[in-house]
Amino acid sequence: MLETKTTPFRYDESLESALSHIENLLKDSYSVSKRTVSLLLLQGDPEIERRVRKQEASSYTSIQRIVSEARANYNQPISYVIALRRQQEAKRILSTTVTKKEKFGIGFAERLSRTMMNPVTGSLILLIVLYFGLYQFVGVIGAGILVDFIESTVFGEWVNPWVTDFVVGLVPLQIIQDLFIGKYGIVTLGLSYAIAIILPIVTTFFIVFSIIEDSGYLPRLAMLIDRVFKTIGLSGRAVIPMVLGFGCDTMATIVTRTQETRRERVITTLLLALAIPCSAQLGVIFAILSGNGLALITWVMAVALVLLLIGYLASKVIPGERASFYIEVPPLRLPKLSNILVKTYSRLQWYFIEVLPFFIMASILLWIGELTGLFNLAISGLEPVVKLIGLPAEAAVVFLYGFFRRDFGAAGLYDLHSSGELLGVPLVVAAVVLTLFIPCIAQVMVMLKERGIKTALAMTLFIFPFAFLVGFVLNLILTKLGVSL
Amino acid sequence: MELEEKAEELLETIWICTEEGTEDSLAVVGLREEEKEATEQLLKVDYIMATDGHLRLTKRGRPVARNVVRRHRLAERLLTDVLGTSDMLLHEKACKFEHLLDRGLDESICSLLGHPKICPHSKPIPPGGCCQQERAPAPKLVSPLSRLSPRQKGKVAYIYATESSQLQKLMAMGILPGASISLIRGFPSYVFQIGQTQFAVDKEIAKAIYVRLVEPETISETQEELPHGRGRGCRLRRFGRWWSKRS
Amino acid sequence: MALWEKVLKTISFGKSGGGCHWGEARLDNNHLSRVGIVGNPNVGKSVVFNNLTGAYVTVSNYPGTTVDVARGKAKIEGVGIEVVDTPGMYSLLPITEEERVARLILFEERPEVILHVVDSKNLERMLPLTIQFIEARLPVILDLNMMDETEVAGIEIDVNRLEKELGIPVVATVATAGRGMATIRKRLVEYVRNQNYAV
Repeated sequence: MLETKTTPFRYDESLESALSHIENLLKDSYSVSKRTVSLLLLQGDPEIERRVRKQEASSYTSIQRIVSEARANYNQPISYVIALRRQQEAKRILSTTVTKKEKFGIGFAERLSRTMMNPVTGSLILLIVLYFGLYQFVGVIGAGILVDFIESTVFGEWVNPWVTDFVVGLVPLQIIQDLFIGKYGIVTLGLSYAIAIILPIVTTFFIVFSIIEDSGYLPRLAMLIDRVFKTIGLSGRAVIPMVLGFGCDTMATIVTRTQETRRERVITTLLLALAIPCSAQLGVIFAILSGNGLALITWVMAVALVLLLIGYLASKVIPGERASFYIEVPPLRLPKLSNILVKTYSRLQWYFIEVLPFFIMASILLWIGELTGLFNLAISGLEPVVKLIGLPAEAAVVFLYGFFRRDFGAAGLYDLHSSGELLGVPLVVAAVVLTLFIPCIAQVMVMLKERGIKTALAMTLFIFPFAFLVGFVLNLILTKLGVSL
Repeated sequence: MELEEKAEELLETIWICTEEGTEDSLAVVGLREEEKEATEQLLKVDYIMATDGHLRLTKRGRPVARNVVRRHRLAERLLTDVLGTSDMLLHEKACKFEHLLDRGLDESICSLLGHPKICPHSKPIPPGGCCQQERAPAPKLVSPLSRLSPRQKGKVAYIYATESSQLQKLMAMGILPGASISLIRGFPSYVFQIGQTQFAVDKEIAKAIYVRLVEPETISETQEELPHGRGRGCRLRRFGRWWSKRS
Repeated sequence: MALWEKVLKTISFGKSGGGCHWGEARLDNNHLSRVGIVGNPNVGKSVVFNNLTGAYVTVSNYPGTTVDVARGKAKIEGVGIEVVDTPGMYSLLPITEEERVARLILFEERPEVILHVVDSKNLERMLPLTIQFIEARLPVILDLNMMDETEVAGIEIDVNRLEKELGIPVVATVATAGRGMATIRKRLVEYVRNQNYAV
């Protein structure tokens, strides 16, 4: 190992004497200097303590004694004393190497940054970002124009007829034909849902999200929203997984790792599974409710209310340390096109590696289900529940899709709506239930991995009946009030 | 009535040893003449009571002792944060200072210093009436970050962290005494700039950062004249030999 | 994630197998020299990683984007180097899980060179970590990144002087624009070559 030339700087006398005593007692070899090992011991690093106890069995008690004696010398934690001394040393070095010209006034980026952090102008900016970024770009362009084009033109006019001809020509057997091109066929359902409906929505979302990310807007949003999030047991930092959840809840559940306490991770995971629609759901819901402002607002209000209510209750029930909020607010930067494109591409790649197999598998399962009659059995089992919340029996199919993937269910909802079978109040109720409803298989897998079986299972078991309960109540309220949407 | 300096110091010693320490009384061994006088004075006004060589505070004496401790530690804060007195001289000077802080004066100093919770040696400062008022006027000399108004600038004076994880976070952000800091926003969260970086924090963290709003006066000249030593010159410490551990 | 598990498997204490435990000198002549990229969150470690390896790991403008450890290969002047990108760390005393992972890489894998990436306009906040690396006798190169923003802020850094004060190589860069990356490559390769001779 290459040794550095300089001798390390010195701490105060009593610390130095403790350090040299400990260093002398460390007989084994370590991958870092004994000085560092001793410093970490003095600061009470549990991992290093374990390590040294194992490697220095005979002298560990003496080491412990020196450590506790050294600690008794200070009123503050030793880590603080050490940090202060290092800071002094850094200042000493910088005093001879860095010069700063005093700058007056603030630039445009800083002015914009402060506008974003002002609650009044900041909320306005948030609304603009949501309206243009999410509603217009993802909802109207992604879920509307692009989906229309790919679904009806690309698949409807080119791919499906071509594949149908090809399959029919290849295999004469009706059952096998159905596997690929039937009602639940791999191409006609699996692939066309994935590529025609999900791809454009997810792509547009990830583009917007990348721009938002690279500009440095998220920490500012976190700062604005911290107080609200505190009431649901989270800190402002949780906006990062939450906003990402609007793209893909599965991805966002992985990102909960960056949260500080277990309690925050559990609450965020629950809220992501329950009340944060993923981009595919969001896109489809925007698309089917876009012509109806009141319906859209009802949906937003219902889901937001559930989010706050369950978050609030969860924060009361789930034990653990209270969240504290601190985040670095980096300067606003102009996003780089190349980074946005590459990032969107790599996220899409990740997404499709996750999604496509599930879509194809779902098609196959549905095909088997129909063949064996299990499918109809499941639907007839769901029908009473679906009817109870005021939906037509056909909606049961959508929920069955939803089991496989959130977005799959959303795509089913889109189909049902465009065929004119679901309108008005039932449409809004279906949209709400489907948003809250069971997280997709991929998400449940990640929940199992990140939170453990018990927690993940408890969440899933809670969400399923709860989603229908909310649907039931919402339907009751809307019909009793005589609202027509 | 006015207490003698010596008597106040005795009260302080009993307070530290009984209220903050683990003992239930102060054992007295070999008193000097002036120390005997102080004891007698306190016995007379019913601030302390004596039972076989042990002193303890009476119900009447407790608030008085508490106030002496408060004044001493406020004096230490004032000397460190505002006057920049070095650690060596701190105790010595604070001993002199505390007796000058009469009732009322300690409240205004406490307000000027942003109602500090701990002395420079991390010992708790017993809160006074002024500390309970929520809407008190803004501190002028030292203030927790949470009570600054936007655009106010200063240097980090010290950190009052309630738990070690909070202290670690603050250290990670580079918030250490001496760093220049300015508040950018106080609502809905606290946004401040330290060096060239901005951070957003919640009120809990903002409350832990005490900011010195004025440059400390340089008192290097007067420092030379005073006797050196690690604050052990203070006469208060002499009472130390009065008490021994009572097992 | 698979990558995450792989990392935990290879670096977890006491599990490295073959009796090779933390603290034992590693004399493996055949293995690729390793560069560990470390530093505070949001200083551009991943941009440097992408630049060195030509691979892509997610880069954003907020701290904590990298939650996993990314690995890639780089070839500089014919020398093959494995580059490891780590989550942000504030000090050698970890408080979060990511910091623990980053430290584990340093202590357990012991890269031949550590590239400490810092935000050069915030040196006062960044240098204490460099000091800790020097204290630990880890072979460190200091990368003063984001020099463009530092210049705009009116801050001038005497790189040569800083190099002398610290006793380690110091390079100024703007990783997003590729500025200074050639020098980084040169310094990395010098370091690796020197070490090979030493062995």
